[in-house]
Amino acid sequence: MSGTKAEERKGSSSEWRDAFWNPRTHELLGRTASSWGLILLFYLVFYLFLAGMFVLTMYIMLLTLDDYKPTWQDRLATPGMMIHPKGDQLEITFSVSETESWDRFTQTLNTFLSPYNDSYQVQMNDNCPPDQFFIQEDSGEVRNNPKRSCQFNRSMLEECSGISDRFYGYSRGQPCVLIKLNRVIGMLPGKNGQSPYVTCGAKRYRVEKERDEWREDGDKLGPLAYYPPNGTFNLMYYPYYGKKAQVNYTQPLVAVKFLNASVNTDINVECKINSNTLEAGSERDKFAGRVSFKLRINHT
Amino acid sequence: MQSIDYLCILFCFQTEHKMSIEEVCRKFNTDIVQGLTNAKAAEYLIRDGPNALTPPPTTPEWVKFCRQLFGGFSILLWTGAILCFLAYAIQAATEDEPAGDNLYLGIVLTAVVVITGCFSYFQEAKSSKIMESFKNMVPQQALVIREGEKVTINAEEVVGGDLIEVKGGDRIPADIRVVSAHGCKVDNSSLTGESEPQSRSPDCTHDNPLETRNVAFFSTNCVEGTARGIVICTGDRTVMGRIATLTSGLETGKTPIAKEIEHFIHIITGVAVFLGVTFFILAIILGYSWLEAVIFLIGIIVANVPEGLLATVTVCLTLTAKRMAKKNCLVKNLEAVETLGSTSTICSDKTGTLTQNRMTVAHMWFDNQIHEADTTEDQSGASFDKSSVTWLSLARVAGLCNRAQFKAGQDSLPILKRDVAGDASESALLKCIELSCGSVRAMRDRNKKVAEIPFNSTNKYQLSVHETEDPNDNRYLLVMKGAPERILDRCTTILVQGKEQPMDEELKEAFQNAYMELGGLGERVLGFCHVLLPEDQYPKGFAFDTEDVNFQTDNLCFVGLMSMIDPPRAAVPDAVIMVTGDHPITAKAIAKGVGIISEGNETVEDIAARLNIPVSQVNPRDAKACVVHGTDLKDLSQDQMDDILRNHTEIVFARTSPQQKLIIVEGCQRLGAIVAVTGDGVNDSPALKKADIGVAMGISGSDVSKQAADMILLDDNFASIVTGVEEGRLIFDNLKKSIAYTLTSNIPEITPFLFFIIVNIPLPLGTITILCIDLGTDMVPAISLAYETAESDIMKRQPRNPARDKLVNERLISIAYGQIGMIQALGGFFAYFVILAENGFLPSRLVGIRLNWDDRSTNDLEDSYGQQWTYEQRKIVEFTCHTAFFVSIVVVQWADVIICKTRRNSVFQQGMRPSWWFCAFPYSFLIFVYDEIRKLLLRRNPGG
Repeated sequence: MSGTKAEERKGSSSEWRDAFWNPRTHELLGRTASSWGLILLFYLVFYLFLAGMFVLTMYIMLLTLDDYKPTWQDRLATPGMMIHPKGDQLEITFSVSETESWDRFTQTLNTFLSPYNDSYQVQMNDNCPPDQFFIQEDSGEVRNNPKRSCQFNRSMLEECSGISDRFYGYSRGQPCVLIKLNRVIGMLPGKNGQSPYVTCGAKRYRVEKERDEWREDGDKLGPLAYYPPNGTFNLMYYPYYGKKAQVNYTQPLVAVKFLNASVNTDINVECKINSNTLEAGSERDKFAGRVSFKLRINHT
Repeated sequence: MQSIDYLCILFCFQTEHKMSIEEVCRKFNTDIVQGLTNAKAAEYLIRDGPNALTPPPTTPEWVKFCRQLFGGFSILLWTGAILCFLAYAIQAATEDEPAGDNLYLGIVLTAVVVITGCFSYFQEAKSSKIMESFKNMVPQQALVIREGEKVTINAEEVVGGDLIEVKGGDRIPADIRVVSAHGCKVDNSSLTGESEPQSRSPDCTHDNPLETRNVAFFSTNCVEGTARGIVICTGDRTVMGRIATLTSGLETGKTPIAKEIEHFIHIITGVAVFLGVTFFILAIILGYSWLEAVIFLIGIIVANVPEGLLATVTVCLTLTAKRMAKKNCLVKNLEAVETLGSTSTICSDKTGTLTQNRMTVAHMWFDNQIHEADTTEDQSGASFDKSSVTWLSLARVAGLCNRAQFKAGQDSLPILKRDVAGDASESALLKCIELSCGSVRAMRDRNKKVAEIPFNSTNKYQLSVHETEDPNDNRYLLVMKGAPERILDRCTTILVQGKEQPMDEELKEAFQNAYMELGGLGERVLGFCHVLLPEDQYPKGFAFDTEDVNFQTDNLCFVGLMSMIDPPRAAVPDAVIMVTGDHPITAKAIAKGVGIISEGNETVEDIAARLNIPVSQVNPRDAKACVVHGTDLKDLSQDQMDDILRNHTEIVFARTSPQQKLIIVEGCQRLGAIVAVTGDGVNDSPALKKADIGVAMGISGSDVSKQAADMILLDDNFASIVTGVEEGRLIFDNLKKSIAYTLTSNIPEITPFLFFIIVNIPLPLGTITILCIDLGTDMVPAISLAYETAESDIMKRQPRNPARDKLVNERLISIAYGQIGMIQALGGFFAYFVILAENGFLPSRLVGIRLNWDDRSTNDLEDSYGQQWTYEQRKIVEFTCHTAFFVSIVVVQWADVIICKTRRNSVFQQGMRPSWWFCAFPYSFLIFVYDEIRKLLLRRNPGG
């Protein structure tokens, strides 16, 4: 009994070897080289055909797209807002006395603001009439390109421009945070000459997870200063015509300076856009038409 | 012997075998001739309960349920679910606002496993219930004598004290004390392991009930001869019952298709685990966090496992079981259906399978003349002189040497329609004699039977000894019937015109001619002879010993031949080898009648006859058909046998013995064929067991053959085998279609993950969406494929080779994964790219965007047009992409389900004309129009 079983096992192992490489028929995994070749050839041709077909459909799809404006913009009805510097996960934490803790903020601000230098702006962009849209229509099929952009000079940020105070107030515990409104092609964020403006305040937040107790840090926030005055995004910077048509577009900024924020404590700040045309964003999207971040200034 | 001693301890209190027959009768209040009264039998039945074994304890239901819950893919999904909960727990511990995704996914996965587990469990319960009902559909029958009448009842209704008659091929219905036996031999192998059949007689030969000859045991088989006995034990009180209660149920082996499915699960699980682990490692190397890598792992597992498939398979099997039951095919194990589908050769015996099994007497030969039998009810077609002495003698032999008798209670029915207890040819003779000569019963009463040797395959004759009608004549009449040449060998004289004449060469030749002529018509010919035993040697009261024959069985007087025909059935498929015990000429005639030897095909002998040359000069290759004689078969070597089987498409084996049947089956199997064997007799059971699938006859089959078979044809119709083959192929086809369909969508499910990880694009398809596809949109069409009807060429195809044609083979994987799946993935990706591009993210922008895309704090992500997006805004677009990808998979799966409908045929050949597909188009258009109008009205009248 055991003998036959051993033979069987031997038989099956040689079968296995044969299944992988059969030296008599020159079959690899049960197929001859020419059979494998044919299969590979078939798959090569098949996949080439598929790839060609895919590329063709993609190409046709890309042809239907407009170069200057995406087909759908419904997701962007309420533009998002963002701060700069971004910090780590939208938390701006630094110690006044430790230079290294805020040095990277000023560095990124410097880099970020370099295209806004007055000299550069004057050279590249127009000085537009304020409080009205800078509309540059195409005349029918003829593109009115490249489109001009309006100047946004760094000096407009005054205290937060980094010109007078190259540490943007971080060295004195009065940090500047830049706020920008996301670019959306063709968006008109106001009407009747009323520019949208930014207001910042304390954010309501839940004290602890799972508990329905809310608090806001209003008392810790202290007075704020907005640059340009009133924290407006002037209408002349709108509408945006897109990366391709409006190469030198300069995104307007609003700087917020925390003049006397409480130290050694977390402050939840929320800034939002006030406009007479933009819809309020959905409750779900915490960054549509508003932006919230955490500020903590350590001072010993 | 030790086991027998051990059993003795259990049964030595049994004493019936030591009692005299009268004592036994007294004990059970029964009568040795009349049997029990019906009232007594009913009383005993209530007292002792039915004569059946208590079924062995089955697997508890909760174990079966757990097997469904934790078997197969479920383990993989459980792993996924646990990983989900783990990931959520880690997130909850480390993050302030953990995303609920993982928690939900974990819950959904758990629900999926539990629901599919429940579904499979209920399906299995349903199909096993069907199988149960199958088992009850073949109740064992027993022939009991109650109030002097022979009645066939269910073996379950047999009670202690019943007088029972068993014959060769029957299963003994209970433990019986033998009161009379004729060459009765039983096979006790199931009880004691002795394979040699043992003879049974009324005498007590041993104190031990297991050793003595006068007890036959429940569930053993009577191999040959007949016996009559009194039931002494029934049900669990029988010897077998007591052993059965000692041993628990045996585990049964796995069936081929169960193995196939397991094999398939192993492949898929292997692929899933391999891909999952590979990408887990890859993700770690690429710098993803542990948490992310785990989430990828879950995604890949979920994408790879066809969650709904096992449920689909169960549905397929259940459906087939139902369908087969409807077509009178009783399948003892469901997966045997599939084996039947791959059958390449069917070895069939003639009786009842290829023919209608309505044997009737067609011709007779006596007085050196062939007469046509009159089988009309009113005897209007009489074609010969009924007063002929020879005819009366022939009728007497046919009526007396005949064990068949009409079942009780049918006197009002016409003779031809009455049910008969007995085998087919004896029944035919009985009806013929009853029609032409009046009551056979009366004839038998006048000629009381004193001894009998029943037919068996070694003697090939049957004889009985009777008292004569004339009370003054004290001689005994010996009547014999059997295979004509055997009968002729025993005769020295022949009855012609009522006078006994010596058998000379001329008469022998006349006999041969008549025999050939009748046989050539495809009829079964029986010879009859008789002799009046001389009074001086066999005086009145002579004790005839049928075991050890002590009387003359030669020097008889030949009376005549009677031939019977069993009309052939239509619908016999190709690839049938006929194996029969009949004469080669008869066999050939029947084979031609049913189309086994098709028109125009000749045997070697036919060619020789046509060309008028000796048989040896004919090239055997020229003949496609061949008829092999059993005696020739004996001398054939294995190579010659293989040669015959290989070179002839139409083969008939005649005059074969049971052993030779086995040789034929083995020969076919040696050539790589999957052999189905049909049979009904006890002697067929070795061949039935040896065959890949044994098919027994439900009506004519003996209990032994039914036990040995895998499938039982309830209506004895050969066409049912063909149905079985078709169903077998169909279930394999449909399972293949279902699997091909379900597996295809795995590629569009898994490629998004791969591209997500490798090329860093936003995730095109979410994990939950994958579950929606697998369990929702894919499952119903996959089940619908199980209802697919057979393709028109299903019976024309080559049978499946189980070694090569696996359920899931590389070709199926290649077409599902490599071809159709790829096309589907491209379809999904196209939709994905279109949505993102139309929203501003061109494909070139997408590559490598993943890190920023999934960063919650990046809310000014720039697209190709210079616009900036918040996290939520782009996630909404991503979810739109998931939906679109999902819809694309659904849409391409529509095409897939249509192409999966057929394997070889064009879809348009499969009953569906293309023009019919578009009939509903105007109506679907109407739906759009209608709903748009409805919405327009809603907009116009808000709140209305």
